[in-house]
Amino acid sequence: MNIAFAGNPNVGKTALINAIAGSKLKVGNWPGVTVEKKEAEFKYKGEKIQLVDLPGTYSLSPYTVEERITRDFIINEDPDCVINVIDSTNLERNLYLTLLLMEMEKPIVIALNIFDEFEKSGYKIDLDKFKKYLGIDVIPTVATKNKGLNELMDKAIEVAKSKKHYKEMKYSLLFDRFIENEINKLIEKLKKEKLPNKYPLRWLAIKLIEKDEYIIQILKKETEKDISSLAKEHIMVIEERFNDDTETILTEARYGIINGILKDTLKKPKNYNIPFTEKVDKIVTNKYLGLPIFLALMYIVFKLTFDGSGPFIDWVDGFINGYIGKYVSLALTGAPNWLNSLVINGIIGGVGLVLTFVPLMLFIYFFLALLEESGYMSRAAFVLDKIMHSIGLNGKSFIPMILGFGCNVPAIYATRALENEKDRKLTAVLVPFMSCGARLPIYALFTGVFFVKYQAYVVLLMYILGIAVAIVVGLLLKNTKPFETAKSPLLLELPPYRVPSAKMLFGSMWIRTKAFLRKAGSIILMAMIILWAAINLPYGSTPNNSYLAKAAKVVAPVFTPAGFNKWQAVASVLPGIIAKESVVGALGQTLGVEKKSEKKKTSFIQDTRKQIMGLIKATIDSFRNMFISFTPGIFKIESISNSTFSQKIRTVFTPLSAFSYMVFMLLFIPCIVTLAAIKQEFGWGLMFFEIGLLTIIPYIVSVIVYQGGRLLGFH
Amino acid sequence: MKLSDLREKQRAKVIKIDGSLKSLKKRLADMGFVKNQEIEIKRIAPLGDPIEISVKGYSLSLRKKEAEKIEVEKI
Ligand SMILES: Nc1nc2c(ncn2[C@@H]2O[C@H](COP(=O)(O)OP(=O)(O)OP(=O)(O)O)[C@@H](O)[C@H]2O)c(=O)[nH]1
Repeated sequence: MNIAFAGNPNVGKTALINAIAGSKLKVGNWPGVTVEKKEAEFKYKGEKIQLVDLPGTYSLSPYTVEERITRDFIINEDPDCVINVIDSTNLERNLYLTLLLMEMEKPIVIALNIFDEFEKSGYKIDLDKFKKYLGIDVIPTVATKNKGLNELMDKAIEVAKSKKHYKEMKYSLLFDRFIENEINKLIEKLKKEKLPNKYPLRWLAIKLIEKDEYIIQILKKETEKDISSLAKEHIMVIEERFNDDTETILTEARYGIINGILKDTLKKPKNYNIPFTEKVDKIVTNKYLGLPIFLALMYIVFKLTFDGSGPFIDWVDGFINGYIGKYVSLALTGAPNWLNSLVINGIIGGVGLVLTFVPLMLFIYFFLALLEESGYMSRAAFVLDKIMHSIGLNGKSFIPMILGFGCNVPAIYATRALENEKDRKLTAVLVPFMSCGARLPIYALFTGVFFVKYQAYVVLLMYILGIAVAIVVGLLLKNTKPFETAKSPLLLELPPYRVPSAKMLFGSMWIRTKAFLRKAGSIILMAMIILWAAINLPYGSTPNNSYLAKAAKVVAPVFTPAGFNKWQAVASVLPGIIAKESVVGALGQTLGVEKKSEKKKTSFIQDTRKQIMGLIKATIDSFRNMFISFTPGIFKIESISNSTFSQKIRTVFTPLSAFSYMVFMLLFIPCIVTLAAIKQEFGWGLMFFEIGLLTIIPYIVSVIVYQGGRLLGFH
Repeated sequence: MKLSDLREKQRAKVIKIDGSLKSLKKRLADMGFVKNQEIEIKRIAPLGDPIEISVKGYSLSLRKKEAEKIEVEKI
């Protein structure tokens, strides 16, 4: 049995679905678009249920992706029952979508959610009368307290089984007699057209009268007929009579119907307002406090996320590469060397890379859910919209951008908070220009060698340059066809503040992290094996006669205008795609600086104990980092003090070419995990676009920097 | 007058929405900006744009550019 959940945003749909399907939920995207799709399959009282969460929408017009998805799903997938979740504290607006759903003539049950607040604030509703007016079942629910869930499911299954399609609209739900008359005339005409019978005729007639371009186009494709002309005379008659366009006339008529129903069934409390939300908003969106509060909150989220996950990341890294790697390597004794290296460096290295992101993902998804579910995210957008809109973004883009300074990967996933697909894409494209923590070791190396006195300033300059490039690219892209964000209006609801339930926060953190492992994991592993081959083949070669080195020697002259045309510099770019900090190690290798690695003999038990102790220590460190220290650790520059290394660096770079190289590294492809995140969220197209962009732009900018520097007399 | 001309805490009634952008007109109507609907400007964002409007019992934020398209009458 196929049950679809539909409703406005912020009505507790997610909470309700989590409560019903729990751990069975899976997140992904709707095909071809970047709108999040949640699904689950489970058994309820012996009945196999396929649950689908439709995107939160206010209407079913053809103008937004979410609304088109919802419509197409209901028409094409023909769910056995639609559960319409509505916020009982805001019936007027919520019922608008209900009426639109009912026009689609599917079995419907209403979940009258947030019923606790409804009762608490003094509303009263005559449920029996309300049901009678609508002609459908209505179940009060409190998603956060698991109230009404079983009744809701029972009713949905009952309704689905009875196949109660609402073909006969209740009298109370009909439009004005004049309009209904025209609709009926059009229905008669449509009956003769032999249209696919998935379209309810009354719905189709209404859509045609509303001049719905989208359905007209689809019908043209499906039937090769243009039936829009059939509606022309009816549109004219109605528009003449009511002196407005038909879309507006019908919208107003629906709100009229809703008012009629509510007048007779709902008692509003005298002077109802939301005092708590009002009070908080007075401070949080205050003229002077709004921005500082936002920045303070961002600082806290940033710090907790990166400092809290840091120790766990290090532990996972050691656990996989040190512990698991060591014993797999032992198990492979006797196997050829190249196989050992492929397994350890390629496969286990890849798995390790994916897993090191898990702590970070868990932390970031937790805080994102907290910001979103509490209602603060919309306020952040409200406060910052003006700044972000000027470069073609939306107020909510600010949060992914800030997270990008910690790590680009969670920042890409954080774009989910944006409603508009084009805003999301443009934000994701710009995120990699934010200089992430992994780029610091590169800055540390070069500033440590060439700019010791001005180390902090040069590093700061890198951050600023990244932002500047993002602004320029944003301005260039905002009017191009695939992004076009400049045109999309802001229609942002500021929902009342609500305390999110812990279950929901942890639920959302867990299912999204699982999706990351499943989807991004495979791509990363594949890329790791390819990169392993590029760096290590032919097997047994030294860093300066591998295929990579040979290719780098050929390509190097291309970088002459940017100032770094030594093959070592060029060859080190590729390992940087695995993770930016690898560039430092790669430079060490190509320059022939040996890393001293001492191997003590330890037993399995000793190693295992060390890992367990390590995990405990990581947990303690995580807490200490989050709550005791003040500066985010991710910005600490750890200088690399190795005198032979810095001498070797001086043979390959001058101060200016080192600076140019840093700029190149700042702007170049951040890492395969970021690319995999972009692929998972936006598809191959945007990923390749990003690869192109993040190759061309760093080249151009570093050439400008180098040539400009030379003109100014630097070298 | 236009919705964008109202100041904080002022109340008004929707007269009509400029139809030059069909999709915007429809979306605003869907969200409750219908004829004679009472609205109130709750606040203006710290940087002067967007504005928060109370309509049909909930809060919606719009940019001034879009608010210009809504004709209102002060009450
Ligand atoms: N008091 C109360 N709060 C609820 C109830 N259901 C959900 N909430 C809270 O309302 C907020 C919004 O809930 P969500 O589940 O995110 O709403 P949604 O409809 O999924 O919203 P989108 O994700 O924006 O589509 C959360 O903070 C929930 O904890 C309820 O029945 N009563």
